[in-house]
Amino acid sequence: MEESKSLNKSRRDFIRQSLLLGTAATLGSLPFSAIAAAKTKRLTILHTNDVHSHIEPFPMDGSRNQGLGGVARRSALINRIRQEEKSVLLLDSGDMFQGTPYFNMFGGKVELELMSKLGYEAGTFGNHEFDNGLEGLAKHLNKAHFPFLTANYDFTGTVLENRTKAYHVIKKNGLRIGLTGVGIDVTGLVDPNNHKGMAYLDPIPVVNRIAKMLKEDKKCDLVICLSHLGYKYEDNQVDDLKLAAACRHVDIILGGHTHTFLHEPTRVRNLDGREVWVNQMGFAGIRLGRLDVVFNQATGAKNIMAQHYTIGMNENQLV
Amino acid sequence: MKHAALWCALLSVVLSLSTCKTQLQHEVKKRQYYQIDSSIVADSRIIDHYTPYKQKLDAEMNRVIGISDQYLTHSRASESLMGNFFADALLWKGKQLDPDVQASFSTKGGIRAELKAGDITIGSMFQIMPFENVVSILTLHGADMLRWADYMAKTGGQPAGGIKLVVKDDKVVEFLVQGKPVDPDAKYKLVTYDYLANGGDYVTCFDDVIARQDYKQLIRETLIEYVSDLTKQGKHIQAQLDGRVQITK
Repeated sequence: MEESKSLNKSRRDFIRQSLLLGTAATLGSLPFSAIAAAKTKRLTILHTNDVHSHIEPFPMDGSRNQGLGGVARRSALINRIRQEEKSVLLLDSGDMFQGTPYFNMFGGKVELELMSKLGYEAGTFGNHEFDNGLEGLAKHLNKAHFPFLTANYDFTGTVLENRTKAYHVIKKNGLRIGLTGVGIDVTGLVDPNNHKGMAYLDPIPVVNRIAKMLKEDKKCDLVICLSHLGYKYEDNQVDDLKLAAACRHVDIILGGHTHTFLHEPTRVRNLDGREVWVNQMGFAGIRLGRLDVVFNQATGAKNIMAQHYTIGMNENQLV
Repeated sequence: MKHAALWCALLSVVLSLSTCKTQLQHEVKKRQYYQIDSSIVADSRIIDHYTPYKQKLDAEMNRVIGISDQYLTHSRASESLMGNFFADALLWKGKQLDPDVQASFSTKGGIRAELKAGDITIGSMFQIMPFENVVSILTLHGADMLRWADYMAKTGGQPAGGIKLVVKDDKVVEFLVQGKPVDPDAKYKLVTYDYLANGGDYVTCFDDVIARQDYKQLIRETLIEYVSDLTKQGKHIQAQLDGRVQITK
């Protein structure tokens, strides 16, 4: 009952706004084609973090997460969403490794092969990626058919030099999606021998510089930062919430490390007062996160206002 | 005139093209998460891909390396069968690597599983010690050995070997290493693992070590070798609560 009422309301709004749009178009003497061209585009972002070598579902042993997760199920779900949606982006925020004997025995090869099969399009490094040292990670990195974005790690002079990227632009359905990635300071988290030679840079200036470049020079419509910094710390250690607040051009932060199960994304105001969405999906592949982003041609505030309602209506049907 | 019209048309095309290139406004319209559970039918191609790995893994994990006559329990108690088994294995390996090693030290939190009676598999060793920690041998001042005893006293006892510790009201009443009281000015060798040597589990007594030697030897491999060695000798695991750590209020 509630639902049909709200649907009726949005349909009324839709009609009213369509009329408004028509009026605006006439007043602004815009050619009809401009309105037709101002169609919306939609991007579905799917994401995981801290999967920790959980290839199989948790065993049915009475533990809290028994029967949950499993990469083969995740694959089936992702395939289904890809059939339903035109543009799907699949991302991971690190700590793919360590947690089951699959990692101890095969050193990360299985995890990377499966992520490539699932069609992951970018990832970042968590601290556990270094558990077998930089060499251990480099050894299996060619199994990943997608880039790792590690903007605040400097691997110069190590075996990982030039094996990762600071940013990556993905074009989908005419959209330009700018991606970057940052990791946690591994000092104290990773054995010193296992991260010898890599340098950690403060993620805030790094992300700001890259995100500005992605928006202004690379003309990206959306900037996503993959993060393994952690969701929130009480002290002054940098986390996703602090990063979001200290940025200008980042739209979405997909986080990890703290194994935080966010039931819905946290919205943080950035330096310009705009909302940044921060999300995290617990751990072990128990959940797959999804954000649907709708894009409008930025031709003028009035048009955007009007168009939002038409999408809103479509959304009601889709949800 | 005709040219002007053409130019106008061209200009409008260029304009519209450049408009297409301007960045788009975006809005997150839907947010949700999916629980990955048995309601999703698994993708058989993915299962097919990891099955050869799984078979190899299962074969290794199910490999029997020994037998335990008892269920080795792990608890918050001052002493546990699992804790003693673990500390004894560590001391055994420590003495192999350095004959001067006198004591071994782990923490309750570092031991991640119990051990059921019967066949002991490689998999059970992974459950007990999933971490890639390595053996670390520390040379300590006697005074820091006493600080170590204080740490164990304050934390309700910890898995340890080669010692006797009696605690009353969180205070150390008696502390012996290899049956002798600790001389604060003497040197001692303690076997533990890198994580604790680095100050993990809030251990602060290793801030002034005389020497530290880390080995490539994994703690998990140490457990596997210890059990395999017993089996080779025709023995079963028989951990005991021998009163090495006693805590009273």
